[in-house]
Amino acid sequence: MHIHPYERLWIRLSVIMLIVFGIAIALSSLTFGIEIPGATRRAVATGLPVDATPEQSWIRELGPGRYEVNMIARMWGFDPNEIRIPKGSTVTFYLHSQDVLHGIKIRGTTVSMMVIPGQVGRATYTFDEPGEYIFLCHEYCGLGHHVMSGKIIVEG
Amino acid sequence: MATVQESFPTQRAAILPRPKSTTGFWSWVTTVDHKRIGIMYAVTAIFFFLVGGIEALIIRLQLFSPDMNVVSADVFNQLFTMHGTTMVFLAVMPLSAAFFNYLLPLMLGARDVAFPRLNAFSYWLFLFGGIFINTGWFVNAAPAVGWFGYANLTSPAYTPGLATDFWNIGLQILGIGTLVSAFNFIVTIINMRAPGMTLMKMPVFAWTTLVTSFLIIFAFPSVTVGMILLTFDRLFNANFFEVAANADVVLWQHLFWIFGHPEVYILILPAMGIVSEVLPTFARKPLFGYSVMVFSTILIGFLGFAVWSHHMFTVGMGPVVNSIFSLATMAIAIPTGVKIFNWISTLWGGSIRFKAPLLFALGFVWMFMIGGLSGVMHSSAPSNAQQQDTYFVVAHFHYVLIGGAIFALFAGLYYWFPKVTGRLMNEKIGVVNFVLMFIGFNVTFFPMHFLGLMGMPRRIYTYDPALGLQFWNQVSTIGSFILAAGVAVYLYNLAVSLKKGELAGEDPWDARTLEWMLPNPPPVYNFARIPVVSARDEFWARKYEGAPAKEVAAGSEDEEDGIHLPGNSYFPIIMAGMITLFGYGLLYSGALAVAAIILTILSAMGWAFEGVGGTIIYPKGDAE
Repeated sequence: MHIHPYERLWIRLSVIMLIVFGIAIALSSLTFGIEIPGATRRAVATGLPVDATPEQSWIRELGPGRYEVNMIARMWGFDPNEIRIPKGSTVTFYLHSQDVLHGIKIRGTTVSMMVIPGQVGRATYTFDEPGEYIFLCHEYCGLGHHVMSGKIIVEG
Repeated sequence: MATVQESFPTQRAAILPRPKSTTGFWSWVTTVDHKRIGIMYAVTAIFFFLVGGIEALIIRLQLFSPDMNVVSADVFNQLFTMHGTTMVFLAVMPLSAAFFNYLLPLMLGARDVAFPRLNAFSYWLFLFGGIFINTGWFVNAAPAVGWFGYANLTSPAYTPGLATDFWNIGLQILGIGTLVSAFNFIVTIINMRAPGMTLMKMPVFAWTTLVTSFLIIFAFPSVTVGMILLTFDRLFNANFFEVAANADVVLWQHLFWIFGHPEVYILILPAMGIVSEVLPTFARKPLFGYSVMVFSTILIGFLGFAVWSHHMFTVGMGPVVNSIFSLATMAIAIPTGVKIFNWISTLWGGSIRFKAPLLFALGFVWMFMIGGLSGVMHSSAPSNAQQQDTYFVVAHFHYVLIGGAIFALFAGLYYWFPKVTGRLMNEKIGVVNFVLMFIGFNVTFFPMHFLGLMGMPRRIYTYDPALGLQFWNQVSTIGSFILAAGVAVYLYNLAVSLKKGELAGEDPWDARTLEWMLPNPPPVYNFARIPVVSARDEFWARKYEGAPAKEVAAGSEDEEDGIHLPGNSYFPIIMAGMITLFGYGLLYSGALAVAAIILTILSAMGWAFEGVGGTIIYPKGDAE
């Protein structure tokens, strides 16, 4: 089949772009330490605190500047919905849903994930800047979806 | 018209005789003519488009400023659920189907689609399915689970009542009609092309129809499975999506998006086909890179099935899965980008006539490109996780679906209006229509990019004044009313042009494809004699490049070149009605459901044994 030289050039350029994109993705997934929700989120996942369960929420200080939060989402609020920590703290969140699918997005951070009933969500973030971080439910969960929020206060 | 008609002998006595009327209400209800069905699709789809638009306007009013109370939170949730469902399934898809129906047989040189009665059946299922889903509004049970209906919000424990069932069953009814018409178009394209029209000589619109139909066939079963599981959960207490019984609710998301992403291409490919017909006509040049255009369409069709999980980057599927889906998503930008450059190259060096259809097509290329670029931004998983369920996503897919699909469909509505009615749309009003829609659209949706990056989540009834989202929301609401004004101008233009539009004559655009060789509007039998195709742009080649004007008889020889027109039939509408009745039965009464099943089977039998019917028409007297 006859292909115009410009078309052939364009097809080749496309293939090169495809390969470059591919390499870029592979590099960025493996080397930049980007944390997106991982596969260890099943209810049976190992390495979770034994009391990271959907029954009871808690906030625990593991050491100076290291916190764990067991957070429960339910229609239509988070428990706890206000967390106070000092500047520079590293917080690991464990997230559970007691009813339907929820989501959590902490504004101004990289934490964004679905909160899936029957599974545990895990995310870690270091709060270097003092201020108020509002977190919201971003998976539609019914009538009161818009009021489902809370805040993290990072004290300077 | 010097035609002779003969009644076709009916082979056996039927339960319901073939309807006789050729004009008036019943002739439309029982019609099997692809042109009439196309018009009915268009009118119904535009009606639902207006319904969905009004829903959108109420949504925008509610979000005009913080703590507004235009509607209650419950009604707001119903509105955005029905807005999405209506626009996707009842407006854009059927409007594309309208073009398939009306144009494909004309473009291919066929007398009708392969299965005319099935074609009518598809239309009635679409209409009844649309009515079924919207029934919720009238019995105080409109669905409020989002157009995607994520489990387990849809389980009976969290959404009791009939609302979710109207959505779930209604979409299954619509799905039957869509699948039937997809098969119909595939058979039509494969089997009924004019002699000489090889696949690589088909208009690009026919190619996009073919690929879209295959996408429908492979994508719809997945969501149908999901919906049947949900039906069992809701009606018979099954446990497919019940967390207490150890179900994994993510299953629904996979089933939905394996359908949901190809669905995006089901919406956009026909639009691309329309633009690929409009641009060459108004640039007076052949389409640049026809073969690459076709391969890109096919490639988009394949890759469309390999990207569904990019809707689920925050589920937690792990970096490997996320990377693969990122890569596939980026890859799909390449055939799409190739198409955009082909369209631009088609215009390059052409002698361009800036008529209303071209304006809309240019709007499509530009706006679709912006939507495509924000799509590439989403394809990166880390960036996507930040944008998950924010207004940035809303901005993205409205650029693709309004700036893309709707603008292209409007280009088609302006371009083929003279084909359907014999009159031209008013050009001046058309320009006003385009300008209002273009400005309104951008003012509405561009600020949503900012809102999304500021962290405004989707599907929220109202927002806190402290979030600083008010200004751009107000801009967006104002824009939506400008957009609505643009649509109103279209309706005005439609009304004026139908009555007093300038007569189109033959070939008003100096066009390129077969359908324009026919008078406007075309006679009921389409081609008196079928043209033998020797070039891609056959009509153009005949007018300007001296291609031979060969033709063959349209009818069969044993009927002395008479063309057999199939008789009208009551059964498509009856059977579609019975299936819809079964849907109501599932919701309200088991006895009704059982009765409806029996009636469905009976109407299928009546359909099968209806007899041939129809008339033979001898269009010999026509000047051709």
